[in-house]
Amino acid sequence: MASVRLRGIEKRYGDNLVIKGIDLDIEDGQFVVFVGPSGCGKSTLLRMIAGLEDISSGTLELDGKVCNGVEPAKRGIAMVFQSYALYPHMTVAENMGFALKLAKVPQAEIGERVRRAADALQIGHLLERKPKALSGGQRQRVAIGRAIVRKPEVFLFDEPLSNLDAALRAQTRVELAHLHRELGSTMIYVTHDQVEAMTLGQKIVVFNGGRIEQVGTPLELYERPANLFVAGFLGSPRMNVIPVTLAGEEGDAAVVRLPDGSTAAVAAGAGRLAPGAALRLGLRPEHLRLASTGFGATVGLVEYLGDVTLVHVQVPGVDGMLAVKVYSGGPAPASGSRVALAFDPARAYLFDESGAALSSTTAHAAAL
Amino acid sequence: MNMSSAHKSNLGWSAVGAVCAIVLALLWAAPLLWALSTALRPELETVSADFHWLPQAWTLDAFRKTLAAGNLLRWLFNSALVALSVTVVTMAISLMAAYAFSQLRFRGKGILFALAMLAFLLPFEALLVPLFRTMNQLGMINSYAGIVLPQVVSPVVIYVFKQFFDEIPADFREAAVMDGAGPLRVLWSVYLPISGNIVWAMAIVTFIAAWNNFLWPFIIVTSTDMMTIPLGLTQTYDAFGVRYAQLMAAALLGAFPVALAYILFQKKVTQGFLAASGLK
Repeated sequence: MASVRLRGIEKRYGDNLVIKGIDLDIEDGQFVVFVGPSGCGKSTLLRMIAGLEDISSGTLELDGKVCNGVEPAKRGIAMVFQSYALYPHMTVAENMGFALKLAKVPQAEIGERVRRAADALQIGHLLERKPKALSGGQRQRVAIGRAIVRKPEVFLFDEPLSNLDAALRAQTRVELAHLHRELGSTMIYVTHDQVEAMTLGQKIVVFNGGRIEQVGTPLELYERPANLFVAGFLGSPRMNVIPVTLAGEEGDAAVVRLPDGSTAAVAAGAGRLAPGAALRLGLRPEHLRLASTGFGATVGLVEYLGDVTLVHVQVPGVDGMLAVKVYSGGPAPASGSRVALAFDPARAYLFDESGAALSSTTAHAAAL
Repeated sequence: MNMSSAHKSNLGWSAVGAVCAIVLALLWAAPLLWALSTALRPELETVSADFHWLPQAWTLDAFRKTLAAGNLLRWLFNSALVALSVTVVTMAISLMAAYAFSQLRFRGKGILFALAMLAFLLPFEALLVPLFRTMNQLGMINSYAGIVLPQVVSPVVIYVFKQFFDEIPADFREAAVMDGAGPLRVLWSVYLPISGNIVWAMAIVTFIAAWNNFLWPFIIVTSTDMMTIPLGLTQTYDAFGVRYAQLMAAALLGAFPVALAYILFQKKVTQGFLAASGLK
């Protein structure tokens, strides 16, 4: 187990700065997820930690030791690739034992460690097979097994579940969480899937455009997003965003004017913003509700998902549709009907023109 | 058009294709069959004005005399040693060069690769004089090293391997690097096994080309004992001129080993070329 410390990490390809100064601390034994859209730099950063990419500037420390120029195999790191990267000409046993063979570990010990890891992953019966004779899920386990036998200080996972079907992905997620509990190793997991991020990570790092947008626990990021990007990235369906203007303040709450001219209170501090300032109101679909009074909307599309119904509504003055979650048993209006929408001021978010979140004034937010 | 007519049309085209293939095969095989026929005739019959496809008198005399002459086995040994050496060294150099050009990052890679490929533009004949002078200065005239060394760099083989390595997902190399493999180990343990068929194909092609090479051995070798088969065949004459039956017998005996090698490894050659073309 080892801690990972990044200070001022930058990566340049020619004149193009793709990783723009990353500072991050990962504690010993922590399961950290790097999440973000495609091209945000999360995989590049992972590869820099692995040693597969050079670090243009900045310092990488593994367990207190600077590792910038250290060869990948000597960093105490094992990596599980998105494509699994199993050597096609080797059996499962040979794949799993290859690193140990290169390290001149005695053959008997290699056999023992491979068998133990294979049994833990329930692939003991596949040791003599070649990768092409395995299913996607089995290959995934072999790739993880290959990492485990090396007893690394840090595990790196580069979108390991992206080639699996939805059911297998859900199952493997549980198994990965179980593996982390068993091994207690430091794990860094890269994904673009926010569900994987929210369910697996003890700490989530949200990346965008080569920078860190926010670092925190899943609950912190979901309940107190630092900006519009994080707010929109986590949560499905995405957070609804309504352009509003600051009308004034009422005690701890900011009062905003909605596109239809009505006003609503939001438990957020207006700070030094003057009335009339352009803001954006963020409302998660589960925090909007169909009510008898509120701001008006027209139902566009209704999606029945079993336990929840998604009602997509059009609000005058707002581009695009807003999504409202109606839980089973609740009323589902017909498409084309007029509805009124209401929300709890404590569950609403305000973002300024730059996209930064205005601080919440609720006790719930203070407790996070 | 109903199924029956379509089926008949397909059969018709298949028959036409088969006839064309047979005709082409016969045209290609005709010189070889004529060589065999000549080798099985008495020497006198080979210079007869009367033309016969088949020998009028069948005899193995030409083969006996060729083998008894004593030099053929020595020439076979020389050809085998030279061809094997050229093949092994060419494969080793080409694999390492192709891996470096394909997978490694270093300054000047592009220029070096362009220079290597520039050799495509140079005919070997243009290098004969400078090569001969170099070998002479190194004291390698009439030596195995002198015959082998100028043949071991093949831009074609480097290019084919490089193109193949480019198609292998980089994840394999990176996984091997994470496992602790250096560049040579990655090449030996990962890329070489994956490239097995293409390596076999290039090896066979290189072996055949080295076996059949006449020009360079002709320049560098003056001693009869150091000759290879193609060169040795030019010695098949006596005071009475060229012995055609013996010449054909010597040619057939000289070609037999490489033909056998090709027949034995034909499947690997085909698989290799299919792999190189991207076809399964």
